[in-house]
Amino acid sequence: MAAIFTVDPRSGVPLYLQLIEQVKRAVALGTLGPGEQLPTVKALALDLTINPNTVARAYRDLEHDGVIDTSPGRGSFVRLDGSVGKSRRAVDDVARSVLGDAVREAKTLGLARERAAEIFGEQLDRWFPAGEKE
Amino acid sequence: MSSTYAIAIRDFTKRYGSFEAVSSLTLEVEPGSICGLLGPNGSGKTTTFKCLLNLARPTSGTMQVEGAPVQPATFEELAYVPERSALYEWLTLADHLEFNRRSYRKYDAKRADELVNLFRLERKKKVGKLSKGQQTAVALILAFSIQPRILVLDEPASGLDPVFQRVVLDLIIEAAAGGATILFSSHQIGQVERAADRVAILKNGRLIVDGTVDSLKGSEKVVEAIFDQAVPEVDGLTSDARIRRVERSGRILRAYVKEDSDGIARRLSEYSPKNVAVMDLNLEDIFINAVGGETALPQGDR
Repeated sequence: MAAIFTVDPRSGVPLYLQLIEQVKRAVALGTLGPGEQLPTVKALALDLTINPNTVARAYRDLEHDGVIDTSPGRGSFVRLDGSVGKSRRAVDDVARSVLGDAVREAKTLGLARERAAEIFGEQLDRWFPAGEKE
Repeated sequence: MSSTYAIAIRDFTKRYGSFEAVSSLTLEVEPGSICGLLGPNGSGKTTTFKCLLNLARPTSGTMQVEGAPVQPATFEELAYVPERSALYEWLTLADHLEFNRRSYRKYDAKRADELVNLFRLERKKKVGKLSKGQQTAVALILAFSIQPRILVLDEPASGLDPVFQRVVLDLIIEAAAGGATILFSSHQIGQVERAADRVAILKNGRLIVDGTVDSLKGSEKVVEAIFDQAVPEVDGLTSDARIRRVERSGRILRAYVKEDSDGIARRLSEYSPKNVAVMDLNLEDIFINAVGGETALPQGDR
């Protein structure tokens, strides 16, 4: 199951943040269900060949964010309670990250803020047609 | 974390005659962390290790392991894998393991067996008959089978093929997961990028970069501008305090930026490039920036 995570050490994004995002994404998409166990720090560090402290830090932050629970001796689990509310937040996080990448890409293409907003509006209209309220 | 560093090197200088191999080096390694030491050949890494382990005498400065100077008893908890083999060439791997069994309280025969199989070594062969890579493997087996709290590894992957290089990385990670502190030097920047909490870069005996991998990567960006024609002259770019270094090759201009990468990107945009992108640095970029682009990398990098 650890194989569901991958990290890119050469990226400028810190590895623990890459890992946090992936766990949140897996929870949001349901690949990791409520109550499901995560690999141990050691197992995941070895699986990804990264520093165990990096994995431990990611798990600590995930626990702090209410995504997982860690109990000493038993391991780390996706939280059972409020999985809807929590995964709502996880969905937001994933969306924020994907949209952030898109906006950054647009910016590096030399797009002005106003033009980017226009294009963003076009896309919103396309995928959320007028009158269709969530 | 404990207030005592696993390894504390303070204001360490080593001179050989008039040659200063290491100059006022201070490096403190937290318990349970992995510290990667990078630097071109001859930058002082091995000298530092030797003095740390009391195999050579510092000209000045102090070296401590777990809060005390290195003494014979230190080696119960500290294993060292030197860059050049310090094995007895006329003895076999089995002899070396037997020596370890008698010498170290925490010697783990089962672990040693696993490692011998992992590296696919023959126990009965004289160590002198083994390849350089196999000798490195023997030294690693001896080091990891005594379950030390601290590991000092001087280019532990040298002479090993990529598969075994990965094995070494796994051993380092596993030891760290078990709470060990690891200080290792490597030319394999990718290894350090994966495994280390912290990176120190030496050049000509001086510490020129020291920080966590994340903080180092976060501290600089590359702004890359691609032009339709030759790169134009951009006024004041090289003297801009925000920029560490500018690189031009063909139609590409690359600025290594310490702060305000967006501002630099906007500035370059005024010269109507085809594209401007702000990119993150990887550890190799940081290394080359630090030691100077003109320094040839030792072979086997990445």
